[in-house]
Amino acid sequence: MKTRYRRFSTARIIEHWLQLITFSVLVVTGLSQKFYTLGLAQWFIMHLGGIDMVRLVHRGTGILFSLAVALHIGAAAVGIVYKRWQPSLIITKDDIANAIHNVKYYLGSENYPAMSGKYNYTQKFEYWGILTGGLLMVATGAVLWQPLIATRFVTGEIIPASKVLHTNEALVVFLIIAVWHIYNAIFSPGVFPLNTSIFTGYLSRERMAHEHLLELARIEHSTPEEMRMLHPEECPFEVMPRSEGPADPPKDP
Amino acid sequence: MLILLSILFVASGVAAGTTDRLSEEQERCLECHAKPGIIKVFQNNESLDAFLDPNTFHASVHHALACTSCHTDFSGGLHPERQFKSIQQYRIKSSIICRRCHADDQISKHTVHTGVLNTGKPPVCTNCHGSHGIVRISGKGAFTNEEQYCMKCHNRPVAMHLKNGERQALVVNTLSLKMSVHGKLSCSDCHFGFSSEEHPERMFRTGRDFSLASSESCRRCHFDKYTKTLESIHYTMLSQGKLNAPVCTDCHGSHEVAPAGKERTASAKRCQRCHAQEYDKYAKSVHGKALFNDHNQDAPVCADCHTAHTIEDPFSLDYRERIPEMCSNCHGKTEIVGKYGLSTNVVKTYLSDFHGITLGLYKMQKGAGAKPRKPIAVCTDCHGTHGISSVRGSDAASVKSNLLKRCQKCHPDANEHFPDAWLSHYEPSLKRSPFVFIAGFVYQLFIPLIVIGFVLQILLHIWRYAVNR
Repeated sequence: MKTRYRRFSTARIIEHWLQLITFSVLVVTGLSQKFYTLGLAQWFIMHLGGIDMVRLVHRGTGILFSLAVALHIGAAAVGIVYKRWQPSLIITKDDIANAIHNVKYYLGSENYPAMSGKYNYTQKFEYWGILTGGLLMVATGAVLWQPLIATRFVTGEIIPASKVLHTNEALVVFLIIAVWHIYNAIFSPGVFPLNTSIFTGYLSRERMAHEHLLELARIEHSTPEEMRMLHPEECPFEVMPRSEGPADPPKDP
Repeated sequence: MLILLSILFVASGVAAGTTDRLSEEQERCLECHAKPGIIKVFQNNESLDAFLDPNTFHASVHHALACTSCHTDFSGGLHPERQFKSIQQYRIKSSIICRRCHADDQISKHTVHTGVLNTGKPPVCTNCHGSHGIVRISGKGAFTNEEQYCMKCHNRPVAMHLKNGERQALVVNTLSLKMSVHGKLSCSDCHFGFSSEEHPERMFRTGRDFSLASSESCRRCHFDKYTKTLESIHYTMLSQGKLNAPVCTDCHGSHEVAPAGKERTASAKRCQRCHAQEYDKYAKSVHGKALFNDHNQDAPVCADCHTAHTIEDPFSLDYRERIPEMCSNCHGKTEIVGKYGLSTNVVKTYLSDFHGITLGLYKMQKGAGAKPRKPIAVCTDCHGTHGISSVRGSDAASVKSNLLKRCQKCHPDANEHFPDAWLSHYEPSLKRSPFVFIAGFVYQLFIPLIVIGFVLQILLHIWRYAVNR
């Protein structure tokens, strides 16, 4: 029995690094423009070489971010269509049920947390929040960068509307990452001090059993019921009949 | 008795004849010299008008003298062609004739002459007393203060001769002086070096030289204002040799200095003398109409934007960058513009838009020598400068049409849609800019909701984890 399983391919690890760097630069250069009246924002702007430099860096990094997003969508589309990857990040009815189940669990009316596959509902919501937010920011960022081209086709009101969408969505994405993602990947009591899987590509079998039981069962060609019977100490879940059964092992996207 | 009265009557008639009527010789000279156009040309091509107003002469203390008493080279039949190098030489020679009657002993009794006699240079009497219009100096030493002493002469049309041949009037209007802010000062407080003991002779090339030197007196008391003027565009022009650049007395006057800022209409009009074009535009602007037609003291005058002393080059980058600040001095204050139904949001909306933010940050990083690649659009680019029109009624259309033209200065490819990117100082609403309003409104609800959701989820998760342990 393996003690750890491959969770992310090298391509995904590189992609995460790329997103981490571009996102950080975009946050610093973008939010300092949004909150330009704050002392900290002004400190950043002055120390990054002035507002022209900040805008230049923001736009340049925006292009890199856009390319990374385009590459991600392209790779996912090709993978799903031609390589038969499982669309494991698609939100299903079970995710809604799991979210409700977990709230009940937190409030004490359920004994065990919900079981999840490769990605749990919080990860899926986070992923789609960032992806849709990213796409919105790419589109509105392009309009703000080239307002003269944009107004050739649509009314000038698109510019202030894009500004509102771009800056507010940036704040939403920032909050998703800063509050939710950082908590789940670092400060959550179960993973503290850091969930290293996106950097190493591997997740321990123990963590798999705790956090992705359905995925572990699928990999080990077992069922959640069997796994609980064999290793009750590893499986902190109340195993319930699920609509989602074990499937053929998918290739890692 | 009757005989005695008759003799007295005849005698008084003779006496009257000698004082009220011109002598035969005087009449003969005035046949020519009472006609304008007689010019004496000197060797250095300077010229002097030889015209003599009979009334002026008749009112002078010398009206009883024969012309030849002073013009000794001339007589009834003799009118020699005399040659002088310059006006100055002519006047010096003329003054020698004065001193044949008014000896040095007599002159030096008056302290005002001390400075003149002690200079070593030949004194020119006519510089102060004039020539044919000499009047009696009264007072006889009974002066209770310095002002009375000075005004003995300076309330008369005294003038000084300038090197360029012109005369500089030195008359002071006593009433204006009393009404001025300096009404309680002594003359020597400003005219340093002059007193009842001293009256140095000064020579100036032109009237402008005289006023430039006179304005130097102001700094003795108003040093703060003076130092501000040293940074002004006017001083820069002056130091470049443009002597017409205004100095203190050009704007404030000399003896009639009014309290600063009390009369805003007069303040605006001061600038008109040199900046007539700008003044005309201003007078027709919404501000000018309010000031001149409605006597509205809230309306800005030239000095409100250009300042009174530190007058900066209005085409400089520094000045341009301060324009929103200047406009906000009124348009950012509800207590001023609120009275006219104007919103202070105009300043806020500008400062929170792209141009306003950029301008603010450029100003902040100025220490690092940063300059904008293009001039940032400020209030005056759309609204105009001196000819600012109202944004209400028929003038509103011209503001709107100016907008595209202004956009195209920096964004040459801007089309008619582009100016709509600027929401014209309006806060987005369902009526105006509904897309912007809805987007902003949704996020105002959404962002707090997700923050609350995240925090609750985290707290519940931690709580459950703690309970399980």
